[in-house]
Amino acid sequence: MPRYELSLILKAMQRPETAAALRRTMETLLQRGAVVRDLENLGERRLPYKMSKHNLRHSRGGYFLVDFYSSPSMVTDLLDHLGRDVDIVRTTVLKKEEQPQSVSYCCSPPSPNSDSISPSQS
Amino acid sequence: MFQALSKTVRAPVARILAPRAVLVETVRGRKSRTDPKAKSKIGRIKYPPPVDPEEMVVLKERFTEYTLIMRALRMQFKEEMLRKRYDEETGSLAEARAKQEAEEHQSLMAWNNQENERLRKIRELRVQQEQEQLDRQLREVALARQQALEELVKEKELEILTLQEDAKTFITLENLDQRIEEALDNPKNYNFAIDKEGRVVKKTVMQ
Repeated sequence: MPRYELSLILKAMQRPETAAALRRTMETLLQRGAVVRDLENLGERRLPYKMSKHNLRHSRGGYFLVDFYSSPSMVTDLLDHLGRDVDIVRTTVLKKEEQPQSVSYCCSPPSPNSDSISPSQS
Repeated sequence: MFQALSKTVRAPVARILAPRAVLVETVRGRKSRTDPKAKSKIGRIKYPPPVDPEEMVVLKERFTEYTLIMRALRMQFKEEMLRKRYDEETGSLAEARAKQEAEEHQSLMAWNNQENERLRKIRELRVQQEQEQLDRQLREVALARQQALEELVKEKELEILTLQEDAKTFITLENLDQRIEEALDNPKNYNFAIDKEGRVVKKTVMQ
């Protein structure tokens, strides 16, 4: 079965509501016969631009990443379903490739003393 | 008078060029059959040329002798020629020749057979070697295919094992809540900064 990655942007909500939205999404997936592998949280951040969805304008959102295995015919159906959910701002399903990433250095291998530079304030 | 035709008008071109059978032909000339004899020629009697008897006798004898000899010679030569031809076709010469030809034929056939044998041996050897090579190749190919298959099976088994191991970490209905709580507690950050010397810094500010 091919391996997909669902990148989810949820509305900026309180923790229990986010949890509920996530639970709903997971249940949808599992109900359609997907095998969910992992769920990652990329934090609640400022969106790169203001997005409008379901008559609401969002400037902050929670980024979540779900990788799962499913059949290809299920994906369009899923996207359809998630589009109707009010709490979900944006969904993107991408295919995950199986081959291992070969480490290739563009100019030269990195220097052995890779000290951490102090992060710049933005 | 004008009924007799002249020679020159009569003959076509080819007959003029052909060799003449008679040197002088009897041609009527100016007068035809029914014209009367000329007055100057009425009393003309044609006499044969005079002959001397003694001369005639001698000549006759000589001629007979001559013709006899000539005919004898001719017949002898003819007989010789006929005999030769007969000998050649059905006489002893013919047998000798036939025998010689048969011998030659036999020797040539023997030589041919030898050649055939020699070439056959060479060919057999070559064909056998080619067959062996073919067999070897086939075996190699079969072996390679089998090995490839085995390797494939091994790879797949490895894959299955790794997947089985990973399956222990998958999300199911039971650990759904737990995993959600876990995820919400640990936000991951994939951003990093890098400079031209290749120094990586993973700790960035969250927006």
